[in-house]
Amino acid sequence: MKLSELKAGERGQVTAVASEPVIRRRLMDLGLVRGTELEVLRFAPLGDPIEISCKGLLLTLRRNEAEGIAVDKLEVVESRQASWASLLRGHRFGKSA
Amino acid sequence: MSTQKNITVALAGNPNAGKSSLFNALTGAHQRVGNFPGVTIEKHEGYLDYKNYRITVVDLPGTYSLTPYSPEEIVTRRFIIDEKPDVVVNVVEGTNLERNLMLTVQLMEMEVDLLVALNMMDEVEEKGISIDLDQLEQLFGSHIVPISARNRKGLDDLLDHVISVSEGRIEIRKNKITFSPEVEKAIDKIAALLSHERELGAGANYRWLAIKLLENDREAYTEVQKYPVWVKIELALQEAIKECERLHSTDPEALITEDRHAFVHGAMQECVRKPKATRASVSDYIDAVVLNRVLGLPVFFLVVWAIFQLTFTLGKPLMLALEFVFDLLSKSVAPLLPEGMVRSIFVDGVISGVGSVVVFLPNIVLLFMGLSFLEASGYMARAAFVIDKVMHRFGLHGKSFIPMITGFGCSIPAIMATRTMKSRSDRLATIMTIPFMSCGAKLPVYVLLAGAFFPPAMAANVMFGIYLLGIVVGLWTARLLKSTVLKSDSEPFVMELPPYRWPTFSSVIFQARMKAVMYLKKAGTLILGAVILIWVASNFPRSQALDTELANGKARIEASSVAPELKAEQLQKLEARIEARQLEYSIAGRSGKLLEPLIRPLGFDWRIGISLVTGLAAKEVVVSTLGTIFSIGQTTDNTSLSAILRSDPAFSKATALSLMVFVLLYIPCVAAVGVMKKEVGAWKPVLFYSAYVLAVAWVASFITYRLALLWM
Ligand SMILES: Nc1nc2c(ncn2[C@@H]2O[C@H](COP(=O)(O)OP(=O)(O)OP(=O)(O)O)[C@@H](O)[C@H]2O)c(=O)[nH]1
Ligand SMILES: [Mg+2]
Repeated sequence: MKLSELKAGERGQVTAVASEPVIRRRLMDLGLVRGTELEVLRFAPLGDPIEISCKGLLLTLRRNEAEGIAVDKLEVVESRQASWASLLRGHRFGKSA
Repeated sequence: MSTQKNITVALAGNPNAGKSSLFNALTGAHQRVGNFPGVTIEKHEGYLDYKNYRITVVDLPGTYSLTPYSPEEIVTRRFIIDEKPDVVVNVVEGTNLERNLMLTVQLMEMEVDLLVALNMMDEVEEKGISIDLDQLEQLFGSHIVPISARNRKGLDDLLDHVISVSEGRIEIRKNKITFSPEVEKAIDKIAALLSHERELGAGANYRWLAIKLLENDREAYTEVQKYPVWVKIELALQEAIKECERLHSTDPEALITEDRHAFVHGAMQECVRKPKATRASVSDYIDAVVLNRVLGLPVFFLVVWAIFQLTFTLGKPLMLALEFVFDLLSKSVAPLLPEGMVRSIFVDGVISGVGSVVVFLPNIVLLFMGLSFLEASGYMARAAFVIDKVMHRFGLHGKSFIPMITGFGCSIPAIMATRTMKSRSDRLATIMTIPFMSCGAKLPVYVLLAGAFFPPAMAANVMFGIYLLGIVVGLWTARLLKSTVLKSDSEPFVMELPPYRWPTFSSVIFQARMKAVMYLKKAGTLILGAVILIWVASNFPRSQALDTELANGKARIEASSVAPELKAEQLQKLEARIEARQLEYSIAGRSGKLLEPLIRPLGFDWRIGISLVTGLAAKEVVVSTLGTIFSIGQTTDNTSLSAILRSDPAFSKATALSLMVFVLLYIPCVAAVGVMKKEVGAWKPVLFYSAYVLAVAWVASFITYRLALLWM
């Protein structure tokens, strides 16, 4: 499936990057190569662009750019998403426990 | 040793790795630092003397790879290849090693004398990340020096290493990473072909050139295509593409990048231990609010609105205090000076003219502090994310937002900041919107007029409205351009969001002080010069006839038999009347009169016309010209310009609004036009654009004036 089809909170692994050359190059420079695991964090208020997290970084890209990235959906084991529920459960900020 | 040795050091690294911070810490310079990618767009040089060495440091724009696309990224590669610095210091962000080391690998491939500065060690420690430096050095073959540019830690250690490397006392092992066998085969083949091409020069790095060719690097192509050997190379490239497709179902370019990623990933596994992190950090929680689907846009508008509110509300009492000081000054200086020319040039010229600009110092400093807080905090890139869709509708780009916000400070750095955009049409469209983002120099005009003609509660809203109008016209212009002359591909929006960082207290204070000094310098040089010129132009030539009329009138009043107080009043009125007519007779007056028919429909008289013309030098000059011209022939002793304007029959609420709109929209100052020409590359579009903005300003002011007359 395409990266643009993942919903917020879902994870995927990149299987191919086939955007237009310039964009593809930039995507690959930023770490989106085959095998990279990523998580879709959220969509911007107006539905575009998308924010993802991969290799500990936050990246943003437009939907049409995300369409060129093929992914396999992965199980969600651990999410980077900040949720109010986890805050209420006594989540410690940033620091390791 | 008596003679100093010279060493040139280039700072290369990913955007936002802290190169400029390191540059500033080393050389004591004040290059712009900000917490978003793409702050530096040009190379900057500085030097320091250290242990008998003169070390020249070159700060370069950040780049993600050495096959760069945007104009500012090419600077880095060209510098390293063409200028051959003695040592290349690769600044890497310790908290973001995996991505940063990708560039390190590419620098290794270039076989330059490489030193790695592992920056942001303070954050690394705080996050409890442990990095096995020895092992990392083994893998990468060059020394790694941990530093913290912001806290000035590890700088001496870094400099000692720089010296050792340049003297060859540290061996850079120039490790090579090994790519997939098919790629290696192709590299060897192409490198061999290249080495037979004698004209390429013996110093060329064939392996590197071969890699770049396989990566589809345009610069490498143009370099090699000149030579006859190209025919053979092209065949080899095609063969490599086929092989990679057959065995890996991808192309060499992707395969090379993947191999680099694999190498770096392996190194990370071996050398870096991150604590088993709790899942979300403070940054993530802030983002959960700031980038929220519902709250994102309201937060964005709130932030921008807060900056303006801060600028005006907090600035107001300070401005009044300064106004008071200048008023006091002119009242106490005037009697000390001989009556006539000298007093006039000081009181009407220097104090009213320059003073009318200087009183806005607090507003300007506050505005810049607000903007620099945005830049330093990390919100800039987020704002681009939130607003991208809106910008896209107008044919712009989320990234256009960063130069546009900078444009609220000053258009010149803003226009230059568009260099981070790759697509030329997007870049041009963004450049053309920037002058509509009302710059700091126009702020005094609004504060003056809105303050003089509107109650305090309304004034800030009027100004906010003016800023909004600028944004709307700017976006509309972009859309017009993109749908006509600048039709083309749009810019990719792949961007990194940096972690939030607190701006340091000292850097905020420092920024504020620097802006204040710059503003005062401008007031003391450019604006003072303009003020004196305007004073001269509005006092000369003097009409003989009017002088005699004044003398006669004075004599008549002296001779009359009225009470002394009345006499004084009559004298003052007479003087004011004659002064006003002298002004009309002067060069400024006569040229203003020529202009008047054009601007009469907007509610401007010739005096305002003159201010608009002189305002082309710098927008503050509009205010100082008004200050000078309107204080000539003034009867009241109040020297506050807003009081003078309020009492002048030529000015009304409608005129004030119309003037604000005109100043917002008309041609930017000469310096900005110059920079625009430089960035656009030709005069024709710039002149065309100037005509366009003038027309827009005229029409918009006309509508404003007529509507205001109807309603107020
Ligand atoms: N905590 C911490 N922050 C740092 C350090 N060095 C730099 N920063 C911050 O990192 C951000 C980026 O710094 P810059 O010096 O502008 O980075 P740059 O590499 O010049 O960035 P570009 O010009 O965009 O390529 C700023 O917010 C700095 O304050 C450091 O040693 N520790
Ligand atoms: Mg920089």
